[in-house]
Amino acid sequence: SVLHPAGAAPACLVVPVRTKKRFSVPEWARELSPEEKEKRLKSSGAVFPDQRIERTFYLACTADIIDPYVPPEGDARLTSLSKDGLKQKMEKLKQTAASQLALRKVKDHDPDFSTKTFPEKAQEIFIEAHNCLANFNKQKLHSLVTERCYPEMVRGNRYKTIRWSFVESLEPPRVVHVRCDSIMNRGNLYGQVTVRMHTRQILAIYDRFGRLMYGGEQVPKDVLEYVVFERYLVNPYGTWRMHGKIVPQWAPPKDPIVK
Amino acid sequence: WLASGSLFPLSCIHTSASLQKLGKWEKKNRIVYPPQLPGEPRRPAEIYHCRRDIKYSKDKMWYLAKLIKGMSIDQALAQLEFNDKKGAKVIKEVLLEAQEMAVRNHNVEFKSNLHIAESMTGRGRYVKRIRYHGKGMFGIMKIVRCHYFVKLVEGPPPPPEPQRTGFDQAKEYVQQLRSRTLVNTL
Repeated sequence: SVLHPAGAAPACLVVPVRTKKRFSVPEWARELSPEEKEKRLKSSGAVFPDQRIERTFYLACTADIIDPYVPPEGDARLTSLSKDGLKQKMEKLKQTAASQLALRKVKDHDPDFSTKTFPEKAQEIFIEAHNCLANFNKQKLHSLVTERCYPEMVRGNRYKTIRWSFVESLEPPRVVHVRCDSIMNRGNLYGQVTVRMHTRQILAIYDRFGRLMYGGEQVPKDVLEYVVFERYLVNPYGTWRMHGKIVPQWAPPKDPIVK
Repeated sequence: WLASGSLFPLSCIHTSASLQKLGKWEKKNRIVYPPQLPGEPRRPAEIYHCRRDIKYSKDKMWYLAKLIKGMSIDQALAQLEFNDKKGAKVIKEVLLEAQEMAVRNHNVEFKSNLHIAESMTGRGRYVKRIRYHGKGMFGIMKIVRCHYFVKLVEGPPPPPEPQRTGFDQAKEYVQQLRSRTLVNTL
């Protein structure tokens, strides 16, 4: 059967070879219907791989922030001592039902998660990530920051020197928003938590020639940020990593780049 | 068929990062200087650009490179635009590209504030071919290519050096005579 492999022989191809004229098509060369072909293949014992060799990829993070938190206007302007400020605070996490649902789902997968302890850890991750960015420690940065956030942080910085330092935190960080979503398949859960941080930081960016481009070394700036952390919940070894920042529309405009 | 670094038959993404070996001139754009202290004078930005394997002779290109050296970029572009040589068009493109790169990537504020510090030509890769003559005779001809390198520096062009006049030469001669010392005497 090696000499006339029935499955491989194209039945419709006519090869103009001058051989002995025969007036009837022999048994082994006649056209076969598909079922007969399959029977032949099975009987000859040829094994073909059923699956195509596909390149698998692993989604370690979502592409975007799910249902972004809309920070209320004038968030940092009202102090927590006034009545309005207190009301704002109370309205937050306690009310939104979706956040509560998502929080429950997250706690199912990760029993150690709690809204009280998480913000401090989140702040530590934030500080570590920015220090890695300033020192160009790419490996550690990848473990602290998701793949979606990494190019946003790193783009354009290759030939620049960044100096960043954290002075102090003006208010304790708080969890404001929790969302849980699955992409592609139903059970593929990713949890996203938004943490509100009001901190004082020093940022100075120098361009390729060492000239100051942005910020200043001695100028601490007060920064109100809503940082989104994400974790692949289904993976038991997943960690909470920085996923992105939410910039509200009423945020003050940035300083221009010094040239 | 295993040429592009991946082994999977269905993925056609070519996994090697850089195209060819980068030349020394291109790598000069990658150096990062340490941040300057506030008291130091501002370091002028330097942008290196080049074009490789231009189909032109390096000796003919040298005339254009020498023409441009030391001019401001606007003047250089103007001169090249009305020059009849073939290399002028190529150099003009290179200068425009370099200007664009400077403004976009290297934090240069004004695109006219650049001057040409260095402009050089170099020999490219030559290829030998047969040139057919009459009566079955042949000669070997070289297909000649060149590279063109340019370095733009931020700031107005430096003032030209004053020409050496005869008076200066005479002064130097007299100075040389005066600075002679007598050897092996009291």
